[in-house]
Formats: sequence, structure tokens, C-alpha cells
Amino acid sequence: MKRIVSIIIMTAFIWMGCENKSTSPGVSDTEILIGNIQDLSGPIKELGLLIPAGTNMYLDYINSQGGVHGRQIKMLVEDHGYNPQKAVVAAKKLIEKDQVFCLYNVIGTSPAEAIRPILEESGVPLIAPATNSSSMSDMSRQAAEYIFHTDAGYDLQTRVLIDYIIDKNPDAKIGIAYQDDDYGENALKGCAEAEGNHGITVQKESFQRGATDFVGQTMNFMKGGCTDVIIGGIVREPVTIMKTAQAIGYKAQFYGLGPTVDPRVGMLAGEAGEGFIAAYWANYPNSDDSGPTLYRQLSEQNNVPEKMRGLYHYYGFATAHVLVEGLMKAGKYPTRERLMKGLETLHDWDSGVFPPITYSRNDHAGVESVILLQLQGGKQVAITDWRE
Amino acid sequence: MSDLLSGLIQESISGIALGCIYALIALGFTLIYKATEVVNFAQGEIMMVGAYVNFFFVTQFAGMVGGLNGWVFLAALFCSTIFAVLFGIVLDLIISRPLKDEPVFSIIMATISLAIILRSLTAMIAGPISLVPVSPFGDSTIKVGGIVISVLDLAIIISAIILMGIFFFFFNKTRWGIAMKATSEDSEAAQLMGIPVKNVYRMVWVFAAIVGIISGVLLAPRMALLDTTMSYLGLKAFPAAILGGFGSIPGAVVGGIILGIIETVSMGTLSFHFEWIKEINDIIVWIVLIAVLMIRPDGLFGIAKVKRV
Repeated sequence: MKRIVSIIIMTAFIWMGCENKSTSPGVSDTEILIGNIQDLSGPIKELGLLIPAGTNMYLDYINSQGGVHGRQIKMLVEDHGYNPQKAVVAAKKLIEKDQVFCLYNVIGTSPAEAIRPILEESGVPLIAPATNSSSMSDMSRQAAEYIFHTDAGYDLQTRVLIDYIIDKNPDAKIGIAYQDDDYGENALKGCAEAEGNHGITVQKESFQRGATDFVGQTMNFMKGGCTDVIIGGIVREPVTIMKTAQAIGYKAQFYGLGPTVDPRVGMLAGEAGEGFIAAYWANYPNSDDSGPTLYRQLSEQNNVPEKMRGLYHYYGFATAHVLVEGLMKAGKYPTRERLMKGLETLHDWDSGVFPPITYSRNDHAGVESVILLQLQGGKQVAITDWRE
Repeated sequence: MSDLLSGLIQESISGIALGCIYALIALGFTLIYKATEVVNFAQGEIMMVGAYVNFFFVTQFAGMVGGLNGWVFLAALFCSTIFAVLFGIVLDLIISRPLKDEPVFSIIMATISLAIILRSLTAMIAGPISLVPVSPFGDSTIKVGGIVISVLDLAIIISAIILMGIFFFFFNKTRWGIAMKATSEDSEAAQLMGIPVKNVYRMVWVFAAIVGIISGVLLAPRMALLDTTMSYLGLKAFPAAILGGFGSIPGAVVGGIILGIIETVSMGTLSFHFEWIKEINDIIVWIVLIAVLMIRPDGLFGIAKVKRV
């Protein structure tokens, strides 16, 4: 009997030992290979330069401190030119040819949506897809269990902004300028929620991506008597709308969604942009939180040119924290399974760059709160706490 | 003045400025088409190159004199125009001349390739980070009876009118202009009549480059940020050229301005009063185009060509 028990125990130990040491593709004794798909040649190639540069700055910092469990993290970047079909080809190449351990930061809603079938087929996790669309954390969609989203959705940002406006002034007449694509659609989803909650009607004006003229929309907000206007744009849209409003003598409080936190909004809008309020979902780059402080310190050390610093470079730096934390949690002998399980154990995790993040088996949404930043004297100042 | 009317005028003025940009790009299409019967699909990219080159000169000169002033912008415009002349000669050498007697289709394919190459080259040389162009007029505006006009828009409109006037005069009143028209009619016959066809081709490419570059210089400050996606506006000017009648200079102007006004007014007053317009905003230009072509298949100012078979 004693012999049988010891054989069972020994077998169990050997089995456990084997299990622990089995690793996935992309993991060697010295290195972990990560795949990133960016737009390096299409309409947002600017982001394709800045975001991976920010990520590499943080990964270099982690690697210089010995890496994750003794392994250096190496990131391969492929190009999709903002074309979903090319994103599929790039994902296949990274997974099948380069044998990456996991995907990270695939940029754009449609490219990230397009690779869902590949994630499901290959079982490769996608950490921090670079899109604010809340569809990424919709657990009812294909391959949702493989995707760990970080960004607060445009719908949440819009809803929080409307809640804030109504809190301040219950009689406010709100307008929203939305981009005629999935960005705008997601913002309108949050707008519809808020309309239902508060029993209000928001005046909606659309614009096409790349538009240079906003006179029509701005005049409509003025004619509609809007006291508060939310701009679901990036940089050109808030700047042009606020300047147009100033020129035609229309006074309203202007707000923007995540991408308008770009410091260039304040720089370009000048006086017209004073008081502009933007919703943001990470500890903003100028704040005193530990993440942004490290960001500024590393940017100085690495002599990052001034024109590269800011929203998108910081975005790459910030989302890399989730990747690194996941790899830490995956343990000394990481598998894709352990990476996902590890991330799902995060509870109110304080990364220094985001408000506390919680993932679970049924919740891959990451940041679910928003802070409002106002341009005061050309500088961004937080005017609220984290709001949900 | 009623709100409705002042709104419409305000939007129309902005639409005219936008339309003048379309018109300048359409003029670029028209000039080359008029002389060579080739559609140059790289016109939007030539405009983009213009914006970048002018940005480069403005920054260089501002660096030299230690600040921005009117002379810096004028000097930059002058240098950009010289660049445009050289650029036009190079384009003629690499696109037009080697393919002179080839089918039109081959030349059109070459211009599409040129468009892609110019976009990539610009991104490689200037880097992917957007530039911040400066307007020589700042944010200054003038107010006329409750209507606000930005000085930049006014400059765009005036420059467009001057350029159109020069080219209209050139094509209709000068020997070279008539030679160009003759070349487009029948290049072999023109050559036999002693017209230096090669020089004519070079000249139209130079003109198209000048118009393209100047439209880029004018449009850039209106965009707040300058990146290579600016070139896609070239495609928007295409319906303007067709609407006006391909190959007609007044047609390019009128087509561009009509499209500019439709775009701003449909986004503005029309959307405000008719909710359903919002749904068709992005196709409204094409609806108007098809409607016009149904009535006038050669465009507003186009002349129906009858070919003997």
C-alpha cells in the first residue's frame, strides 16, 4: 500500500512538474515574443509610430530591470494600413510564422474586430486592443474570452459627460457632433443611454472623417440653442468647431471624448479652446500619479523628442503595463492559458497609469471610469474625480 | 436679416471657400485633360506635396529671420512656386514624355502609381507625425452685416478667382493657349502644323503643378493639422470637374463651388430642418452629380463631342 501511495505521489509530482514547465510558442529561456499590429502606412500612421515607441520605452525599462521572470520581452510590429483584411494577414503571419506568444495593441476598431476568428481558432490572447470602442469588451461576441480591453468605451465617456452636464445644469441643452463611422456610432450609443436616463433629447450633428469645414454643424448648434456641445472628434474637429463658434459669436461650453485630450487641441485652438473639457480614462500624462511621473522620467532619460511625447506615445507606455502584468501573472513557465487566467485574477489592480482595473472571467472591460480634464490657461487640469 | 437667410449666407461663404479649393484641384485635372486628354489622378497628391513644401520653406525662412512675418510667407510662396515649376518639368519627364504615344489608359495608370509614390515619399521624408501649418492671416475675420468671413477664406476665394482668370485668358487669348487646345484636339495634326507638342505637354504639367501646389498652400492652414490624408481631397474634387464638364475651366470653377456649397449647406441648414438629410449627407454630392449628368451628360459647361465613326 505504502509503495502504491508513493508511486502515485511521485507520478503526481512528475506530472505537475511537466505541466509547470510546458510553455507556449513565442517563449524561450531568454525571451518572450509579442506581436503588435499597427497602421504604419495608412491614415493614422502617426499613431503607428508613436504608440509602439511608447510601448518599447516601457518594455526597455522592464527589460533593463531583468525582464519578466528573467525573460526579455521583444515586440514585433506589423502593418495593416487601417485595412481589416491586411490585419487578418498580419495576425496570421505573427501567429503562424513568427510564433508570437500573444497579440497586443492591434489598432483600430475594424481591424481588431476582423481578427476575432483568428484569435478563436489559434487561442492566442489579444491584450489591450488599441481602440476606445466598447465592442471589444462585449463578452457575448466571438473570441471575447481572448480579448482583454483596457480603454473606457466612447459610450461610457459620452454618458459620463452628459451626466456631468446635467448635474451642473439640469436645464442644459446638449448637442453632440459625431463622426460618421464606428467611432460616432459608439458615442451615440452612450448618448442614447444618457437620453433615456435623464429624459432629454440631445441635438446630433454628424461630420465625415477628414472634414475641414464645420460651419454648418456649429450654426446648427447655435440655432438649436445648445448650451453644451460634445465633440466626438480627434484634433481638427474640436479646434475648428471652437474657432468657428468664436468667430460667429456663439458661446457654449465645449467637451470632447478621449482622443481630444491631445495637447495639440489646446495649442491650436488657443483662446477659443480655453475652458474645453475632455473625458479621459487614464492618469493623464501631466498628473503627479506614479505612472505619469515614471513616463516623464523615462522620456527625459531616453531623450524622446518633444513632438513625440503626449497622448499616443503615453498610450503605448500605459497599455504596456497591462501586458507586463499579465506576463508576470502567467508565471515562470508561461502559457497563453496562464496569461489569460492570470489577468482574470486582477482585482482593483493599481497600475499607476490607470484607475484600478479589475478583470474576471465574465468581465474583460478594464477601465470603467472617466476623469474630466479642463484646459485652463492652456494647461490640462483635472476638474473631477473618477466618474462611472 | 432672418436667421435662416443669414445662416444660409454664412454657410454658403464657407462653402464657396471650400469649393474654391475643389475648383483649384479640378482646374489641375482640367488643364492636363484639356491638352493631353489624360486624367491625372495624382492631382490631390501634388496639392499635398505643395502643402508640405510650403511648410518646409516657411519653417526654414522663419528660422532664418527668427520669427514669422508677411515676408516669410511671401518668400515661401515664391519658392514653392519655383519648386512647382521644377516639379512639373520632372513629372512631364517621368510620366508624360515616356508614355506620349502609349494608350491613354497606360498614362492614367502611371498617374495612379505616381499618386501612391508621392504619398509614400512624403510620409518617408516628412515623417508620419502631423505638421501644424500656420496661416499667414492668423484667425482674423471680417464682419459684414452680421456675416463673418475669415480672412483666410477670403484669400482662398480671391486667389482662386485670379488663377482661374489667368488660365482662362491664357487658353482663349494667347497663341500658346490655342496651341494647347489644338494639341488636345489632335496631337499629330498639331505637330504637323508646327506646334511643339512636347513643349505644350511640358507646359501643362507645369501649370497643373503650380495650381496643385498653390491649392495645397491655401488649404493647409484650413486643415489645422497637415498629414498625407490631405491628398484624398483630390478625389472629392473629381465630381466637381465632372459636374462642371471635364475639360472646361469655367466648369471646374462652377462645379467646385456648387459642390462646396452643397456640402456645407446640407450639413448645416438642410440637416437642421430636415432630419433625413443627415442620413444622406455623404452621398448628396453624388446624387446631385447624377441628376446633373442625366440632364446634361457632358456636365454644366462641357461641350458634347461628336466623333465620326
